[in-house]
Amino acid sequence: MRKPKAFLGAPLFLAVMHAVAHHSGAMFDDRQAVTLTGTVNAFQWTNPHCWIQVLVPGPQGPVEWSVEMGSPSLLLRGGWKPRTLKVGDPIIITIHPMRDGTRGGLFVSATRGDGTPIASPNEAQSRVAGRHPG
Amino acid sequence: MKASNLSRTRGGVALSVLILLSAVPTGQHASVAHAGPGSAARVRVFAALPDWSGIWLSAAWPLDVSGRPAGGEAQLRQTLQLIRPPPYNPVWNAKYEAGLKDNAALEAQNATFKACARSFPALMEAPWMFQVVVLPEETLFIFENQQVRHIYTDGREHPPEEELWPTRLGDSVGRWKGDTLVIDTIARKQGPLAPRAWLSLLSDRAHFVEEIRMVDKSQLEDQLTIDDPLALAHPWRIRLTFKRVTEIKRLVDYDCTENDRNPVVDGKMVISSP
Repeated sequence: MRKPKAFLGAPLFLAVMHAVAHHSGAMFDDRQAVTLTGTVNAFQWTNPHCWIQVLVPGPQGPVEWSVEMGSPSLLLRGGWKPRTLKVGDPIIITIHPMRDGTRGGLFVSATRGDGTPIASPNEAQSRVAGRHPG
Repeated sequence: MKASNLSRTRGGVALSVLILLSAVPTGQHASVAHAGPGSAARVRVFAALPDWSGIWLSAAWPLDVSGRPAGGEAQLRQTLQLIRPPPYNPVWNAKYEAGLKDNAALEAQNATFKACARSFPALMEAPWMFQVVVLPEETLFIFENQQVRHIYTDGREHPPEEELWPTRLGDSVGRWKGDTLVIDTIARKQGPLAPRAWLSLLSDRAHFVEEIRMVDKSQLEDQLTIDDPLALAHPWRIRLTFKRVTEIKRLVDYDCTENDRNPVVDGKMVISSP
C-alpha cells in the first residue's frame, strides 16, 4: 500500500474566489490544489452537499479531512451513487483547500487508491440520454 | 407601499395590451377552466400546448460533481446575466456607483452568502434543475430546491389591489402566443436582483415580462424585459437560456437543511464536523 500523504500542488490560477452553487465559495482557495491519499472514513450522501471524510495517515496518527461536494442530484449527473464509496476504501482526492488552514476543502477530482476512476459521467450520460425521445 | 403602484408601470400598460392582443384568445382558456378536466374543449387546448417535459438547468451553471462550474467564479462572471449593471437612470446609477466603492461590504456579502431559495428573477438563473408542467390552466416551473412558479394561463388578471402584496416571486399571469409563453409579473418584493448583484436593486414598481419558448429539443429561451420607471433609464432586456439535462431522468429531493455543514462563524464561512 502506498504511503498516504497530503501535499500542496501547483497553483491553478483560476480565480480569487470560488463559485459554489449553494453558497459563497470564498472559503476555498482555488489557486491551490491539495492531493489527499488515504481511506474513506464516511461518505455522506446528503443535501445541500455530499461529503467525503478522508483519513490521511500522519506522523501523529491519522488525521481527518472533510471534502465538500455538490448535491446528490449533481453527483447522480456525474455518475456517482449513494454507495459508490464505502468506509475503508482507499482513495486519492484532489481538493481546493480551505483558506483558513483547517482540514477541509472543495472536491476537484478523485480516483480509487489504485488510480482507477470512481465514476464515469460519460457512461451515465449516454445511457440516460439514449432513452430520451429528443 | 401602495399596491396600485405595482401594476402602473411606465411600460406596463402597453406591454399588457400587447400581450392580450397577440396571445391565444383569453376566452378560449377561460372557457376551458369551466369546462371540466375531461371536456373535449380542454383536451383540444391541452393537445395544442407545447411539450417542455424533461429536466432543465440554467445554461449559466454548467455544474460538475463539486457543485461548481469548471471555470469557477471567473466563468460565472461571464455567464450570469443578472449580475450585469442595470441601465439605471442617473439618480439610481449614482447610488449604484457609490455602493461599488464600499468594497469591504461587497466582499463580506460575497464571502458569507447562502441561498437555499431565490427571488424572481434570480430563480430563473439559479443553479437548480427544474421541470416545466404545461397545463391549460397554468404552467408550473418546479425547481429541485422546492420552489415553484405558478404561471396562471386561464385568462385571469393579476389580483386586485387589496389582495396584492410584494412576495419573493411576485404575481405572475401568462398567455400563450403560439408556442411562446408570455408571462407578466408584478409585486416582486424589493431586494438585490441576484446573489453577487447586491447593489442591483429595483423599486416596488418593477414590472417583468418574459417570453419563453423552446429553441430546439435541447434548449429553452427566456427573453426577459425588466421595466422600472423609478430606477431604470429604459427597459432592460436580458436573454436567459436553459439546457436540457440528459444525465439523469428524475428530480430528487433537495432539502437544504438536511446536513448544512457550512455555518458562518465570526463573519467567515467554515466547515463543521460531520
